[in-house]
Amino acid sequence: MAHYHPPRQGKASQLFDVVVLVVLTVGALFVPLWLNLAGATKSVTAPVENPTWESLGQNAAQAAKYEALGHTPESAHDLILARFDYSFSIGALVTMIVVIVLYYALILRFSEVEYREVISEKFGE
Amino acid sequence: MDLWNYLEYGAWGLAALLALHMVVDWLRTDSTYSEDVLTSSREGEIEAIAEEHKAREARHG
Amino acid sequence: MADFDITSQKMDGMGPHGTKVGLLRVLGPAHVWALGVGIVLVGEYMGWNFSVGKGGAYAALIACWFAGILYSCVAMIDSEVTSTVASAGGQYTQAKHIIGPLMAFNVGLYLVFAYTMLEAANAITAGYLISVVASMTGYAAELDQRPFIILVIMFLAWLNYRGVLATLTFNLVITAVAFSAIIILFLSTSGVLGGGIMEHAALFEGHELPYGWIGVLAAMHFGLWYYLGIEGTTQAAEEVRSPARALPFGTLAGIMTLLIAATLTWYVCSGILPWEYLGDGVDGAVAPLFDAARLSGSNALVWLLGFGTLFATLASANGCINDASRAWFAMGRDKYLPGWFGAVHPRYRTPYRAIVFLVPIALIFALGAPLDQVITFSILSGLLGYTFMPLNIILFRRKWPLDTIKRGYEHPFHPIPAITLLTLCGVTFFAVFLGYGTQLVAMIGFYIVVSLWFHFWRYRFVNRGAQFTMPWPKPRGY
Repeated sequence: MAHYHPPRQGKASQLFDVVVLVVLTVGALFVPLWLNLAGATKSVTAPVENPTWESLGQNAAQAAKYEALGHTPESAHDLILARFDYSFSIGALVTMIVVIVLYYALILRFSEVEYREVISEKFGE
Repeated sequence: MDLWNYLEYGAWGLAALLALHMVVDWLRTDSTYSEDVLTSSREGEIEAIAEEHKAREARHG
Repeated sequence: MADFDITSQKMDGMGPHGTKVGLLRVLGPAHVWALGVGIVLVGEYMGWNFSVGKGGAYAALIACWFAGILYSCVAMIDSEVTSTVASAGGQYTQAKHIIGPLMAFNVGLYLVFAYTMLEAANAITAGYLISVVASMTGYAAELDQRPFIILVIMFLAWLNYRGVLATLTFNLVITAVAFSAIIILFLSTSGVLGGGIMEHAALFEGHELPYGWIGVLAAMHFGLWYYLGIEGTTQAAEEVRSPARALPFGTLAGIMTLLIAATLTWYVCSGILPWEYLGDGVDGAVAPLFDAARLSGSNALVWLLGFGTLFATLASANGCINDASRAWFAMGRDKYLPGWFGAVHPRYRTPYRAIVFLVPIALIFALGAPLDQVITFSILSGLLGYTFMPLNIILFRRKWPLDTIKRGYEHPFHPIPAITLLTLCGVTFFAVFLGYGTQLVAMIGFYIVVSLWFHFWRYRFVNRGAQFTMPWPKPRGY
């Protein structure tokens, strides 16, 4: 099999490739942020009026620690009662699984094609 | 001015100095040596030496 | 031009195929340990406690140990492959030889992003710590953290630029201090040296599993943070004196150190801090070990753990710069990225262009993005990399069975570690999905786009046969 000879890449083209990569990277991080889709936030679902350590569900030892950390029942209210919401839809879960599996399938498929070419050139008959 | 204000300026200055040092050295290196020397590193060179060694031994042996 | 001598016998990398300046082989097993543990240990000082918030203290301990199993598999698999594929670029080079170029390109990017994001997270934490010190010493105004964040990144980049031996010796010292600080805190608060202040039973009462079992699954997301980065030891492969011995030794010693440190950290923090406070890394315990020291009532411990935290962030950022630049350099050398990055500094023998290029990238993220986003980006890139590893080892054993190439280390019980690792990765994907599903999809969307870009455009500049550099026989089945 004839050896493949890659073209030499000019300076401008190299620079362009780097810019493309950087733009894609920054985009992947900041686009979800701009669209406000990012992050799991905790929220307080059942606030307690005039909280005391008991009504926040804290025993004496736990309350003592909060006081040592400089908290009062009022200041610790949100910290103690905020919870994550773990409910999710099956549709979203299936979408995620499909995306991940497709991604690895795509990479393995293309890699295999490229790899066969590498091996046949390296160990060429 | 507080101590921490001086430290802030100090940090800006030191960071700039280190950046400048790297950039100057980088540009000087690039202009002193040819691109062929700088990018001559090849993966697996050590292993390649061992391989040729074995190949030569096999031929002589 | 007098700085290097083409005929030198002392310089490594002086191969017959044209290497005139290569990376320098100067490191020993202790440096490998310092690189691996140094990157990760910051995870004990901050970040892991988000897993407490996700599912409670017991969930965090279960996540800690399951993530420990995950990483033990990673370390075993990595040790075996890397003891044969000893090259800068680590998993990138492994993927290139075992699975194929596109996989390698993706793995290379996982490495660069996982480490660059982690570096940014460390710099943010260091800046925050300095502002805490400022307010503790009575500075009334709001400290501008930016110059300190920039200084941390610049200083460590400069250190990396100037040579790998000094960089990793520095890491060895500060990592040892940070690790000792955890041990000392454990000894002096647990009652081993008298005066224990642990109150696990009382603090857990009524809050054993606040979210039930789904909280345990969710905790796996940040459970990775206890160990994330240990796989970076392989990046030093081209600079270690005897890679086949030092890499497995350093990596496996590293994972053992971390299992101990992680368990001790959980024990101390959960026995001193209530779980709601401990689990909130933003409004509660930003630096949990430091908070535990504050509640111990000993000033000496406060200072020790304060320095421990700072040192851990520096060691981690330092190792990250080292690893990210090695991966970027290795990809440039193969023309996976513009060949300009494949340059080695003739005097310092470091991949200097890759180091300099990644500085502004790290700064963009350190100054422009919130901490938990940066951490999640890092964890996701890492997770994609761990999912690659079982595929890698299965194909490695299939294409080159044990009797075809000699390995410096053979991991036992194959394929059980690979299957375990794949299963745990699946669980962790689900955990990430529970909180950060959108980022997960955005991130994979990004990797799909760059993969297409690579396959249809970038790969034309790559030499086909020449990129396979290991002196291995032809793989089975080709």
